[in-house]
Amino acid sequence: MKISGTHSLPVPQQRAYDLLQDPVVLAKCMPGCDTLEKIAEHEYHMKMKMMLASVSGLFDGKVRIADLQPTSSFRLIVEGSGKIGFMKGDGLLTLSPAGGGTEVQYDGSVEVGGTIAAVGQRLLDTTARMIIKRFFEKLVSEIAASADAAGSPA
Amino acid sequence: MIPQPFEYSAPATLQEALKLIDGGDRKVLAGGMSLIPLMKLRLASPEHVVDLGRVPGLNGISESGGTLHIGATATHHEIESSPLIRGRLPLLAEAASHIGDVQVRNRGTIGGSIAHADPAADYPAALLALEAKIRLASAKSERTVPAAEFFLDAFTTAVEPGELVVELQIPTEEPSEGYRYQKHQHPASGFAVVGIAVRIKKSGSKVSLARVGVTGLGPHAFRALQSEKLLESGASAADAAAVIDQGQEANADLYASADYRRQLARVFAARAITTALSRAS
Repeated sequence: MKISGTHSLPVPQQRAYDLLQDPVVLAKCMPGCDTLEKIAEHEYHMKMKMMLASVSGLFDGKVRIADLQPTSSFRLIVEGSGKIGFMKGDGLLTLSPAGGGTEVQYDGSVEVGGTIAAVGQRLLDTTARMIIKRFFEKLVSEIAASADAAGSPA
Repeated sequence: MIPQPFEYSAPATLQEALKLIDGGDRKVLAGGMSLIPLMKLRLASPEHVVDLGRVPGLNGISESGGTLHIGATATHHEIESSPLIRGRLPLLAEAASHIGDVQVRNRGTIGGSIAHADPAADYPAALLALEAKIRLASAKSERTVPAAEFFLDAFTTAVEPGELVVELQIPTEEPSEGYRYQKHQHPASGFAVVGIAVRIKKSGSKVSLARVGVTGLGPHAFRALQSEKLLESGASAADAAAVIDQGQEANADLYASADYRRQLARVFAARAITTALSRAS
């Protein structure tokens, strides 16, 4: 399944690039993320609890950052599996300046298997986009909160 | 398949039910048309299921002062066949008659359907077009949420943990109004790939009020405000239908791509608006 979209962040490109690779930020903003532990340079072990409608499941997986082109792009590779299925996502994030902020474009593919894919096909695309949207919304609110805490405008 | 073990309660009063759902990994069971299959597939494994089946009076349908009150556990069949709803809210009865299959309509409930908030459910389009309100209760308080603020995202509603959908309050349609619910039905599941609910009021030959609710196209049902405005300013059904998907996200799956869904939405909107216009007097 191909997936792509654009989100904007109210920070300059360098800051956006750093934020999107900061494990503390990723752990806070990834919907359902329980733990994110560094296992190697640019590689993390992740535990996630997915909750959507009546469906819930624990996922255990890895997040890897690759092909770093500082401040303009990088690849994010996410793999996870649990009782209700498994997923593998590979996406290219491209950053470009837009006004005073940064536009983040993602282009990638997601493979989902197991029970969740067998019976939930009609909802996979909607769900994947919803998770990505929630991630960016949380990131924007975290940016606003940290700007408030620092007492400076974002 | 057999679900994971879970605790089961069947409270005999609403107060008891509200206390039981307050806190913990609880799921409410009404008709069970979505929850039970998910539990049997073990996609959902709640620790505790609270069955509303024995709560009295939760499925009542009554009218007071131009508003219809529909209890959360009224089934789709009760709604499509109720003389009161067929007479006062024909759009809702028409939408209910298109849901799933006979078994789903006999067991499934309106409260369960909207609380589940499947992006392809039929009711939300009609409830938006009817400007319905949804009454929520918890052990501590009660509040009423307009349909337009209820459906927030796929499977995501304004219902907070510990709250229960108890009733829908819907202003009655005027007898002179035109209405239509039209959908493209998924051949296997009966879900709305796209569903359009339209209400039209006329004064003379002019459209004085237009309401258009859309389900299935995006992550959640929405009101097509642009199409409504065009209709109210005298545009044709075709012109109003042409902008129905503007500014909206479109879902995609193996059955229907995003572009196909957009096209379906435009075609079915044109048909639904045309019928509603011809029914209005």
